[in-house]
Amino acid sequence: MEASFGVYYEKDTVIHRLDPRTKLLFMIAFIVCIFVASDIYAYIMLIGITVASILFSRVPILMVLKGLKPIFIIVIFTTILNLFWTDGTTVLATWNVIPDFWTITIYKESLIRAGILALRIIILMACTSLYFSYTTTPIELTDGIETGLGFLKKIKIPIHEFAMMMTIALRFIPTLVDETTKIMNAQKARGADFSSGGLIKRAKALIPIIIPLFVSAFRRADELATAMECRCYHGGKGRTRMRALKMKARDYIFLLLTGAMIAGVILLNIYATGYKV
Amino acid sequence: MSIVELKDINFIYGKKTPYEIKALDDINLAIEENCITGIIGHTGSGKSTLIQLLNGLAKPSSGVVYIDGKNIWEKPKEIKKVRFLVGMVMQYPEYQLFADTVKEDIAFGPKNMGLDEKEIEERIKKSIEFCGLNKDILEKSPFDLSGGQKRRVALAGVMAMNPKILVLDEPAAGLDPKGRREILGGIKEYQRQSGTSVIIVSHSMEDMAMYCDRAIVMRHGKIVTHGTCADVFSQHKLLLDVGLDVPEITGIILELRAMGTEIPENIYTVDGAVEAIKHLYLSKERGV
Repeated sequence: MEASFGVYYEKDTVIHRLDPRTKLLFMIAFIVCIFVASDIYAYIMLIGITVASILFSRVPILMVLKGLKPIFIIVIFTTILNLFWTDGTTVLATWNVIPDFWTITIYKESLIRAGILALRIIILMACTSLYFSYTTTPIELTDGIETGLGFLKKIKIPIHEFAMMMTIALRFIPTLVDETTKIMNAQKARGADFSSGGLIKRAKALIPIIIPLFVSAFRRADELATAMECRCYHGGKGRTRMRALKMKARDYIFLLLTGAMIAGVILLNIYATGYKV
Repeated sequence: MSIVELKDINFIYGKKTPYEIKALDDINLAIEENCITGIIGHTGSGKSTLIQLLNGLAKPSSGVVYIDGKNIWEKPKEIKKVRFLVGMVMQYPEYQLFADTVKEDIAFGPKNMGLDEKEIEERIKKSIEFCGLNKDILEKSPFDLSGGQKRRVALAGVMAMNPKILVLDEPAAGLDPKGRREILGGIKEYQRQSGTSVIIVSHSMEDMAMYCDRAIVMRHGKIVTHGTCADVFSQHKLLLDVGLDVPEITGIILELRAMGTEIPENIYTVDGAVEAIKHLYLSKERGV
């Protein structure tokens, strides 16, 4: 798999050691901040926080940037849409594509709006991947979700089951990727061709892969269910954990900083004299 | 004449990453035509990588693969032709079945070759016979069959392509002794009748001794020794050194020799041992 987005980067730093619940709270706050911020200085602060997080986590910046590749198209797409199809007051350039019929006008406001939107997506993705995948193992994350959202059990939301489903799904991604390669090789050996022909022909060529893959996924699910039942798994009730999550001093400090970030964005929105978006 | 020739083959996984692994290390090898060649080695010795080179599923990092005297990577776009020349049955091939009926599944390979209906029909008939399958299985769904039957169907699907070389990765893995005998015996029978060159990857020394004419021993991506089965198995010390066993019966014979019994040491099958012991017994009786 080529995408480096979603790969754990092992290092022993403060950010790696943070409680996953802290990271979850921080990310929620961060996302809200990104969309609430309306002053250019607030954005500079958020960029600063992203860069500082990357530096503290000691994940190579290049790796984070490479991980952003998959969203590159989305960024370009939204930028173009905003650039050409939103209104403003200050005209920067006009272009008569078809005279008297279709004119493209670029406004200063659209340009800035497009830039800000691209920036939002980029720092959002950079920060999420940094906190949720580069510095947190999937197991930690699901643990964090389960414990952090534990209060939802009181209103009968089966949070343990959701977390277990997520853990299992994550666990089987590499297995299924492996299996796909094997089945593809086997069908290629029988002369299957996945890379030529039109769209319909290619879609049809996938049948010999998808069917065996589904069959084996169901078989695995069945086996796993039996194995879990043999070990007396009966849901989350009364289940204790080997590694109970515990908030440490660093988590509280980090949450204080998160609070400061929210306060900072609000204050900058109201009092700063930078460009307003 | 050798049908497969490998020249200075290197194969590296994850090149230029921290996880670089050299799976094949400077392999030079010729595989003989019209016989069964066994490839033996531990997990991770490079056996599976080696066979994937033969039909172009993997491309060597360096070196040349010749099949039937032709460099298979000369025209990378025509690699599909090589796949029809070299039939490959992967490990646990029963998991690649997909069609509605057994017949359609077996026909998948021949159809990709562009054969006409009549020819396909003919080949299906022949291949299920070799695999010991009954005709009335053809209209069933492959998912309704037993594990052993599924494997035979998968095997028949590759045999129906009439490859010049048939490569099998652990064809008997996970089968009971009867199933092993039937499937390997069927392969041997097929080889004899069709003159195909067969390559079998296996862990089992017994199976190798029983069904193969020649053997290749691999370790850490290198070829330790190769030759006729007798040549290879006579090097007991080397085999034990690379962490492989000699066939169990050979082990017993060697123990007997160590105890002072005058029995020849080149015995690899139970039948051979029976003969030798009978011979020894009779000659002793005569001596008395």
